[in-house]
Amino acid sequence: MNFSLIFQTLITGLAIGGIYSLMAVGYSLIFSILNFSNFAYGMVIMLASFMGYFAMSKLHVGMGIALFLAMVGAGTLSFFNERVAYSSLRKRHAPPLYFMISAMGTSIFLENMVYATIGSQYNAYPQIFAVPTIKIFGASLGKMDLFAIIFSIIAIYILNYFIQHTRTGISIRAASYDSTVAEINGVNLGAVIGLVFILAGLFAGISGVFLGIKYMAYPNMGWITNKAYVAAVIGGLGSLPGAVVGGIILGVLESFVSVYVSSTLRDVFSFGTLIIFLVFMPSGLFGKYLEEKV
Amino acid sequence: MKRIKKTVSLLLMAILVVSLAACGGTATPPAGSGGASGGSAEAQPILIGHEVALTGGSALWGQSEKNALDMEIEKINAAGGVLGRPLKLIAYDNKAEQAEGVNVANRLVQDGVVAVIGPAQSGVGIAASAVFEEAKIPMIGTTATNEKLTVPEGQTEPLKYIFRACFIDPYQGSVAATFALEDLKVTKAGVLKDVGSDYSTYLAKYFIETFTANGGTIVAEESFRSDELEYKAQLSKIKDAGAELLFIPTMQKEAGLAMKQARELGMECYFLGGDAWASDELVQLGGAATEGGYFVNIASLEDPAIAQWVKDYTAKWGKAPTMPNPVLAVDGLLAVVEAIKATGSTDPTAIAEWLNDCKDVQVLTGKLTIDPASHNPIGKPAVIETVKDGKFVFHKGVTAK
Repeated sequence: MNFSLIFQTLITGLAIGGIYSLMAVGYSLIFSILNFSNFAYGMVIMLASFMGYFAMSKLHVGMGIALFLAMVGAGTLSFFNERVAYSSLRKRHAPPLYFMISAMGTSIFLENMVYATIGSQYNAYPQIFAVPTIKIFGASLGKMDLFAIIFSIIAIYILNYFIQHTRTGISIRAASYDSTVAEINGVNLGAVIGLVFILAGLFAGISGVFLGIKYMAYPNMGWITNKAYVAAVIGGLGSLPGAVVGGIILGVLESFVSVYVSSTLRDVFSFGTLIIFLVFMPSGLFGKYLEEKV
Repeated sequence: MKRIKKTVSLLLMAILVVSLAACGGTATPPAGSGGASGGSAEAQPILIGHEVALTGGSALWGQSEKNALDMEIEKINAAGGVLGRPLKLIAYDNKAEQAEGVNVANRLVQDGVVAVIGPAQSGVGIAASAVFEEAKIPMIGTTATNEKLTVPEGQTEPLKYIFRACFIDPYQGSVAATFALEDLKVTKAGVLKDVGSDYSTYLAKYFIETFTANGGTIVAEESFRSDELEYKAQLSKIKDAGAELLFIPTMQKEAGLAMKQARELGMECYFLGGDAWASDELVQLGGAATEGGYFVNIASLEDPAIAQWVKDYTAKWGKAPTMPNPVLAVDGLLAVVEAIKATGSTDPTAIAEWLNDCKDVQVLTGKLTIDPASHNPIGKPAVIETVKDGKFVFHKGVTAK
C-alpha cells in the first residue's frame, strides 16, 4: 500500500464522481417533479458538448463563453424537449411509462440526428491549460478537474439555495411534493415544469462541456449518463443532495475497485455492490417516494 | 379475446412460413447464376459484395475501403472488365456491429454476389462468416486479424469459404513484443486492454505470450470495457508497478485518451499499440501525448511499393487513404479477380477452391500466398510506425519469423 497511489485513486474517483453528480442532479430534478426518468437527458448533454466544442474550436471563444453558450443552448433544448415530447402526455395524465417511451424516442431521434448531420467522428476540444496538471503529495491532479469540481459545487449550491429560499423554488418543491394540490393552490404547473427542465438543461450544459473537455464530444457519449442515472438511484431519485452524494460514491467506488480489486471486474463489483445496497436501502440514501421509483 | 390471440398467432406463423420459404428460394440462385456464366449473360455485371462500416466509430476506414474498391473497379472495367463482363460493387453498411454484419451478409447473399470483401472487424467477420459459409460464398476479411475468423474455436480445418487479406493477431502481438524487447530494450511492460473487444483481448494475449517467453515481465495487466473513457485508475496502478512500456491494443479513441491520461498522471514510459491506432483521430484526441508512440501496422502510406496507388487515390478522392484497410480491400478484390480469370468462372465455389491454395498472386501490397491450413496469408510484411509532429511516420519494416 502506498499513500500516493491511494491519494491518486481518490482524486481520480472524485473527478469522475463530480461529473456523475452534475448529471445526476439533472435526472433528479426532472424525476422529482414528473416522476419519470428522462432518458433523453443524455442526448441533451451530448448536444451541449457539441455546442461547447463548436463554440471553442470554430468561434474560438474562451471556455467561459463556451460554457455559457452551451448552458443557454442546452436549457433551451431541454425546455423544448418537455414542450414537444411530454407536455401533451402530461395534460392527458398519461402514466410515467409513456413518458419514458417518449423520452427514449426523443433520445434515439436526437442521436441519429447528430449522426446524420454532424457525423460519427470524435471531436477533441482545444487544450485549455498549457500544463494540464498540478502535483500534490506525489499524485497529479488535472487543473480542469479541479476547476470542474469547484464550478460544480458552486452551481449545485446556487441551485439548492434557489430551490430552498426563493418563491419560485418553493413552488417547485410544492409541485414535486404533490402537483395537483400545488396547482389547486395557485401554482402555475406548466411554468414550473418548464423552469425545472430549463434548470436541468443548464446542468446538462455544464456537464456536457466538462465531459467534452475531459474526454471529447461524439454522438453516442450519452451512454455515460447511464452511470449518472445509477448515481441518482443510489442517492435516491428526486433528491438533490442524494444525486451529489450518489455521484461521488459511484465515482470513488469505481476508481478504488479498479485499482485494488480488478479493473476487469470493476463494473461487476461496483454494480454488484449497488444491487446489494439497494436491497437494504431500496429508496437510496436520501429517497422518499419509493412507490414511484421506476 | 382468446380467439383474436389464436388468429394473430396463426397469422404470424403463416408469415413466418412464407418468409422462410422466400429465404430458401432466394438463397439458391447465386450459385446457379454464377455457374451459368456462358454466353447469354455477357452484359450482366459480376457482383462483388462489400461488408463495410460506413457509419459509426469505424466509418473512417470503411469509407476509405469503399473509395479504394470503387476506384479499382472503375480501373478494371475501363480495361474491359473480367471475362468480358464489368464488375459491380454492392456495399452495405454494417456499422461495425455484429448483428448488422449478419443482416448485411444475408442481403448480399440474396443479391447474388460471387464473393465478398470485408468485414474489417474480427467480431463482425466471425458473425457474418456463418452466413457466407452456409451460402457457399467466399468472404475475404480485410483487417479482421483474429485467428478464429478462418479457423473457428475447437476446429483444426479452416472454413471452406472464409479468407483474410491481413496477418493475424498472434503475428501482430508478436511483432509488437519483439519490437519492444529488441528495439526499445524494455523488460517491464504494462498492458491496458479493452475487455469488450475480441481484437483487443487477443492482441494483448499474444503480446504477453511473446513478451514473457523472451525474457520480459508484465508488471500490470489492466482492462476497461468498450466505450469507457476514464482510465486513470488503471493507469495509476500500471505506473505504480513501474512499467517502462505501456501496450495499448485498442481502437484509436481509447488509445488516444489513455495516452493523454497517462501523461497527465506523469507516466513517462513508451506507448505501443496495434494497427487500430492508424487514424488521425489518435493524434486529435491524444494531442501531444501521442508523440513518440509506436504501433504495428499492416501497411504504410510511405511504403514505396504502393506510392503510385496512394497518389492515384489522393488525386481521385481529394484526401489520402485511411490506412491500412483500403489496400487490403484492394488485395482481396484483386485475388478474387485473379480467381475468376484463372478458373474462367464466376462460380463462388470455384473461386473459393482456387483461393484455398493460391500462390504468389500479384496484389497491391506484393505477392499473396494463402496457407491452405489456416486461410491466412503467409509472410505478409508488417511495419512499425511512430507519431512524429502529429503525423504517422514509417519507422521500421518487420517481416514474419
